[in-house]
Amino acid sequence: MAKKLIDISHISKSYGDNLVLDDLNLFINENRFLTLLGPSGCGKTTLLRILGGFETPDAGNIIFDGVDITNLAPNKRQLNTVFQKYALFTHMTIAENIAFGLKIKGKSKAYINDKIKYALKLVNLDGYENRMADQLSGGQQQRIAIARAIVNEPKVLLLDEPLGALDLKLRQDMQYELIRLKNELGITFVYVTHDQEEALTMSDTIVVMNQGYIQQIGSPEQIYNEPENAFVADFIGESNILPATMVEDKLVKILGVNFPCVDTGFGRNKPVDAVIRPEDIDLVKPGEGLLDGVVTHLIFKGVHYEMEVTANNYEWLVHSTDFFPVGTEVGIKVDPFDIQIMKKPESEDEEAIPIEE
Amino acid sequence: MIKSMIQKMYLGLILLLLYAPIVTLIVLSFNSSKTRSKWGGFSLKWYASLFENADIMNALYTTLIIALLSALISTLIGTAAAIGMQALNNKFRTTMMAITNIPMLNADIVTGISLMLLFIACRAFYPSFSFGFATVLLAHITFNIPYVILSVIPKLKQTNKYTYEAALDLGASPIYAFFKVVFPDIFPGVCSGFLLAFTMSLDDFVITHFTTGAGVHTLSTKIYSEVRKGIKPEMYALSTLLFVTVLFLLIVVNTAPEQNTSNKKLVRKAPSKFSRIANIAFRRVVPALLVLVIVGGGFFYGAQNRASAGEQVVVYNWGEYIDPKVLDMFEEETGINVVYEEFETNESMYPKVQAGAVSYDLVCPSDYMIQRMLENNLLAEINFDNIPNLKYIGQQYLEQSKAFDPENKYSVPYCWGTVGILYNKTMVDEPIDSWSVLWDEKYEDQILMQNSVRDAFGIALKYLGYSLNSTDLDELQAAKELLMEQKPLVQAYVVDQVRDKMISNEAALGVIYSGEAIYTQSENPDLEYVIPKEGSNVWIDSWVIPKNAKNKENAEAFINFLCRPEIAKMNFDYITYSTPNTAARDLIEDDAIRDSTIAFPNDSELSRCETYQYLGTKFDEIYTELWREIKSK
Repeated sequence: MAKKLIDISHISKSYGDNLVLDDLNLFINENRFLTLLGPSGCGKTTLLRILGGFETPDAGNIIFDGVDITNLAPNKRQLNTVFQKYALFTHMTIAENIAFGLKIKGKSKAYINDKIKYALKLVNLDGYENRMADQLSGGQQQRIAIARAIVNEPKVLLLDEPLGALDLKLRQDMQYELIRLKNELGITFVYVTHDQEEALTMSDTIVVMNQGYIQQIGSPEQIYNEPENAFVADFIGESNILPATMVEDKLVKILGVNFPCVDTGFGRNKPVDAVIRPEDIDLVKPGEGLLDGVVTHLIFKGVHYEMEVTANNYEWLVHSTDFFPVGTEVGIKVDPFDIQIMKKPESEDEEAIPIEE
Repeated sequence: MIKSMIQKMYLGLILLLLYAPIVTLIVLSFNSSKTRSKWGGFSLKWYASLFENADIMNALYTTLIIALLSALISTLIGTAAAIGMQALNNKFRTTMMAITNIPMLNADIVTGISLMLLFIACRAFYPSFSFGFATVLLAHITFNIPYVILSVIPKLKQTNKYTYEAALDLGASPIYAFFKVVFPDIFPGVCSGFLLAFTMSLDDFVITHFTTGAGVHTLSTKIYSEVRKGIKPEMYALSTLLFVTVLFLLIVVNTAPEQNTSNKKLVRKAPSKFSRIANIAFRRVVPALLVLVIVGGGFFYGAQNRASAGEQVVVYNWGEYIDPKVLDMFEEETGINVVYEEFETNESMYPKVQAGAVSYDLVCPSDYMIQRMLENNLLAEINFDNIPNLKYIGQQYLEQSKAFDPENKYSVPYCWGTVGILYNKTMVDEPIDSWSVLWDEKYEDQILMQNSVRDAFGIALKYLGYSLNSTDLDELQAAKELLMEQKPLVQAYVVDQVRDKMISNEAALGVIYSGEAIYTQSENPDLEYVIPKEGSNVWIDSWVIPKNAKNKENAEAFINFLCRPEIAKMNFDYITYSTPNTAARDLIEDDAIRDSTIAFPNDSELSRCETYQYLGTKFDEIYTELWREIKSK
């Protein structure tokens, strides 16, 4: 059983009339890679800044390792932050940057030098001690920013979209680097991003946020395969979200056609949303599937073809490695466990219900 | 080819026009000849005599200390303000920027006058608050702050705002984080703000002029007051030095940021020795030097002005109207420090005394101005128990003073004289005894008139047989017509130049004050002075004590000192204006001067003369308007 390290309870924050976080509750376990994922303006960065101490919540409190740190100044907190724009001290050398926090703590010269060497090795930048910060590339700078934070041996490292400014290839390399680092250090990472792929790749736990509310908390697999609402389904990967009716347990009527599924407990003849991932749709010969349609659009994507199939007046998004030219009549088949049923929100507001873990 | 030639010539022409005046000034500062029109060879003597002048060196020190202090303080305030403004949201920041920029665009004279008014208003709450070093410093800090903000804000915008948070995050306290992380980033901006403020302060005249008090001069106000008396070549040297200093500072300000970035490129590999030395220089040596200059200078300055902390008397007198040795003697004898200020005309003195920005202890206005000050309740009664030497003042002068000081309670006569005609014996062929000669067509273009309303009208009114204090509109109209008639004959309407032009035989006749006549005669024996038979103006300049004087007893001691016969004689020798001190007159060794009818006209001549009286605002305006009509036709 993992130990609870941070307990965030009933946090609210607004800027003027703009409510950014509304009664948010979340706890973070020790030694986790937790990602706050959501579109910009969802409140994820504000939550991170509240954790770092750069913002004070209007209500609620934060318990860190059993102590209330809600009103503690940032320099008194046992966590360190890696900022989006690196925020290196450009007038100092790399070594001085890394030593910054240790000097304040009054560590010995020998200790500091050891730590600098260790940290630079950890981020694969040995021998960079005497360079100036602005002589390094973006990726190198970000690694120095991480090194500067981790030499202080924080219990939690907060990372605010640290890879946002890097190009694609570098970003992917850094993702693996971060996973490796987290495993070597054995500390908790709280990572903020709007990039769902990044979140899926690195996290142990993903917290999907929208409009100040948590939409879903779960492992990457849970979030991807079993989105709890249309927002999560739409935000994580591509999907077909269809209005449907739950006829009975394990049977859902989509576009007038009955689909066998595995979900139960929604009641009889209740309106629901059904999510079907485009790669979970099998295209078969006309008549062999549950419904028939015509391929109306075709794009080659490398790994697969992306197609649009019009069936029962709906444009189904389909990913398939098989090639069906435009105009081909096809049958659509979906395995029961590939259909994810979600409760239909009854109003706009309810779409963003706060969900507790 | 031709086009580029023309372009270059055009550029050259522009540069020539821009820099010709300054080049002229610089060239003249090295001219060993005193006259502007003649090159007497290269010389540094004006620079040498400049540095020997204690007043100017004092002004230089005041200028530097004010520039340094105001730049330092405004850099502190401005930087803090810039940081605060940067933290505001966009809308407020833009508004704040606009508000702080306005004082920069505001005319200096408006800033100066409003600061003066503010300081005067402060006196209502703190009566001991007086104009001087502190007010100038406050004023300079005020107008410097926007320049600092303007140069710090862009640097703040450039810095990554997360570096400050990163420092906090790493355990730094807010203050440590600011000085370790934010400050190095904005340092170039702070530096150029400081230099800009320093330059602006060094450069300023107008605002200083309005906010300074008695005895406190910066270089610019010093140059101004010196130039009013006549331009000395030392001033060319001083202006040249000032120009070179400001130019140098501006070059530093404008090139500093570039140097900074180019340095960075040079110091790619590890911090080089140079940057370490520069670092040490900035962190240790520069502050140490600043402290040294301020503290050391403060002691020096304090020593220079040690007396100012004790007894003092603030004197406001006409330019060149006292023997400087007399001031030294008084200070030595009494231990009272004399803070000495000069004015040029009664009209420029009046508003300064009335505003009360500086509390003068002793002022030396002319008769009609004393009347006006009395009418406006600006003068204090003099305690004559403190002035036993009054007995040396001739009774007839006290009688005369009753015209403006009816009970002889407010004034002590200092100098007096008449207005008359100075003529060149070799250039006129008849004896001169009447104003009528100034209307004689024979002397067309040989006549110099005083460029002053009261003097010009006084002559015309007297010639017509009226009083020179006439308030009869018909009389004034007649006088005006007479002056219009005279105008084509007049070579020039001038003030001080009458003296020089008459000495150099440039004119045959000139209207002049008797005191000047004695001096011109000693320079050119062909000159003769006469008080026309129709009568003229007799004037008295007397010492008065303003109501708001802080050192009334010291002022009375000073008057008493000036009334001492030997002292009055020294002043007479120096300024050559008639002294009302009969005992002093008896001390004059040269019979020719002691019995000179110019210096001491006989009673029958004097009985024909009148003093000016203050005619009130309405007639002030009428006279001025009539005079304007004459001059503009």
